[in-house]
Amino acid sequence: MADYPGAAWLARYRERVNGDAELKVIGDWFTTTFGLTFGDSRYAVRVEKGRIAEIVAPKLDVRTPFGFRAPVAVWRKFLEANPPPLFHDFFAMLMRVPDFVLEGDSLIAMQNARALHRMMNIMRETGAPNA
Amino acid sequence: MPEVAGFEPITGRYLSVDIEGAAYRVHVEEAGSGVPLLCLHTAGADSRQYRHVLNDAEITDKFRVIAFDLPYHGRSTPADGWWLKKYRLTTQSYLAMIRAVWLKLGLERPVVMGCSMGGAIVLKVAAEYQDELSGIVGLESSAYAPGRYNEFLHHPAIHGSELAASYTYGLNAPSSPEQSRRENWWYYSQGGPGVYQGDVHFYSNDWDGRDDIKRIDTNRCKVALLTGEYDYSCTPEMSEAVAAAIPGSRLTIMKGMGHFPMVENYPEFQPHLVRALEHVAG
Repeated sequence: MADYPGAAWLARYRERVNGDAELKVIGDWFTTTFGLTFGDSRYAVRVEKGRIAEIVAPKLDVRTPFGFRAPVAVWRKFLEANPPPLFHDFFAMLMRVPDFVLEGDSLIAMQNARALHRMMNIMRETGAPNA
Repeated sequence: MPEVAGFEPITGRYLSVDIEGAAYRVHVEEAGSGVPLLCLHTAGADSRQYRHVLNDAEITDKFRVIAFDLPYHGRSTPADGWWLKKYRLTTQSYLAMIRAVWLKLGLERPVVMGCSMGGAIVLKVAAEYQDELSGIVGLESSAYAPGRYNEFLHHPAIHGSELAASYTYGLNAPSSPEQSRRENWWYYSQGGPGVYQGDVHFYSNDWDGRDDIKRIDTNRCKVALLTGEYDYSCTPEMSEAVAAAIPGSRLTIMKGMGHFPMVENYPEFQPHLVRALEHVAG
């Protein structure tokens, strides 16, 4: 399960985010890099004006001011088409799922709450990873 | 007013009311006739959340539905001098606001229905005034709900309106119609600075009704509780704890529903509401 959610899913996710009509409206000031950690697999999502410029496996020189980390089992529930209660929203998981963690500077995350929330919900709209 | 096609049957008016020694101008909406049904909106929102109930002839044929904006919310203004005081709703001040509007309107044996923080305070209303009520309907009712308060809800480096709206958006069930969820997002985005946080101060910091609810006698005041399966602020388990402490209360966990049933998915909520109202005032 080391490659969860897998390169193909990450590419689909990026494509979907970059085609999203709402992020085109609300994403102008959403420029940062945030981490997504699925179990042991860590990625950095570099965002420029609400679009994903790239998703990379971060090296030493990639700075992620904040990020979300959870075991794969938690991400699987979050990404189900019909997610179970408490796993259906990142704010729900932050309050009720102890394994789902917001790392780093939560101020930057919450400054971008609206666009970030939309971008995280697009993860589910991308469909569940096959990995 | 002449009949014009397109007008809803809701009437909105302003009410002058004194609350704990201060004068307020409170916006009140109502429709229908019959048993008074006083509706309390959620934290940081306003009475527009009840527009479907107010427009529902099946309800308004039997109930005089009344929904008011709490001071600081919607079209109700704060009291004079508000700029010199940090807004903090408390159990005492919230109860006083409800009681003042109730008495000013002269409501006889009303049903009081509230959602979220309104679902919390109706438990206190029942504990204090059970001989003057027909009953209460608690939507997403908890006797104790820590964990929602945070300083980012009123912070100079954060857009408070967008945070409050986004912070509460996931309290809807994911299967509720997007248009309705977004409508509630919009209401939340229109709260004044710090108002949602001040309400959450009541809900998560001040409110603890775990002893109060033991005093509620359902032979004197009927109690119906409705909680959404996807509510993670007031979880089904939290409402089950309330129901267990009030013998004779009626609890329904609504499948596929979240924290805002009256606005997020009224078609699914309506049959639950009708049965709850039959229970408390049938």
